[in-house]
Amino acid sequence: MRRNFTPDQTLIDKLLLDDTTAFEELSRRYCYPLYSYCMSKLNSKEDSKRIVRNIFIALWESRSTLPVDFSISVHLYTEVRKAVVQCINIKLNKAIDVEAIEKEIIPGFSVAELNKAKIPIHINESNNRPSFVKKRNYEKLQQYKYSAFTLKELKHSLQKMLNFW
Amino acid sequence: MTTELFRQKTGRYICGLSAPSEKRQIQTWLSCTEHKQQVSQEERENIENEIVAQVQAYVVSTLFEPKPESWWKKITAFF
Repeated sequence: MRRNFTPDQTLIDKLLLDDTTAFEELSRRYCYPLYSYCMSKLNSKEDSKRIVRNIFIALWESRSTLPVDFSISVHLYTEVRKAVVQCINIKLNKAIDVEAIEKEIIPGFSVAELNKAKIPIHINESNNRPSFVKKRNYEKLQQYKYSAFTLKELKHSLQKMLNFW
Repeated sequence: MTTELFRQKTGRYICGLSAPSEKRQIQTWLSCTEHKQQVSQEERENIENEIVAQVQAYVVSTLFEPKPESWWKKITAFF
């Protein structure tokens, strides 16, 4: 299928008309990010694929009852998080892959691992900025520095003059 | 944390009965997205195609075999 740049909202509106092409575009758009997220949490290809598939099927089923202010990204984000926890719980209830959960998932709940979520994303701007921008900013800084210095000097000289008078 | 404790914790979270600290712990874990698996473009396309094909197969089947309309839909269509 040829990819297009139609906004999400337009594609969602088309779902009401049972437009399978619009739905395919939507599922292609969000399929891999969801799969990748599930993989990072569950480390299981089969479970990840099943979760993503079920989320899209549920979205298709509820296409006629979607709210007016429906945001697909928020919906998918909420659903995938819910599905990941449900999948782990089902596995533990049925005693499937308990060892894998113990070794791969439970360590993620340690304080050190959870603290990583609180660390803000740090982008080193000085490395990404082009050289001419750096130069321009440096010149601007120098200019401000000198202008501040001269103003200070002017103030002192005026004070001296006033004292003299 | 033991698996049994983890099972109980996830169970409570699904039912909405977990304590605020438990809820926060699970939500923080769900928000950790540091680990990213490097996958080739070809593999990525294969995964994408596989999932989309399964979803499309279901979608087409529902269109060809529509479910019987519920009573409230019939009434709304009437009006």
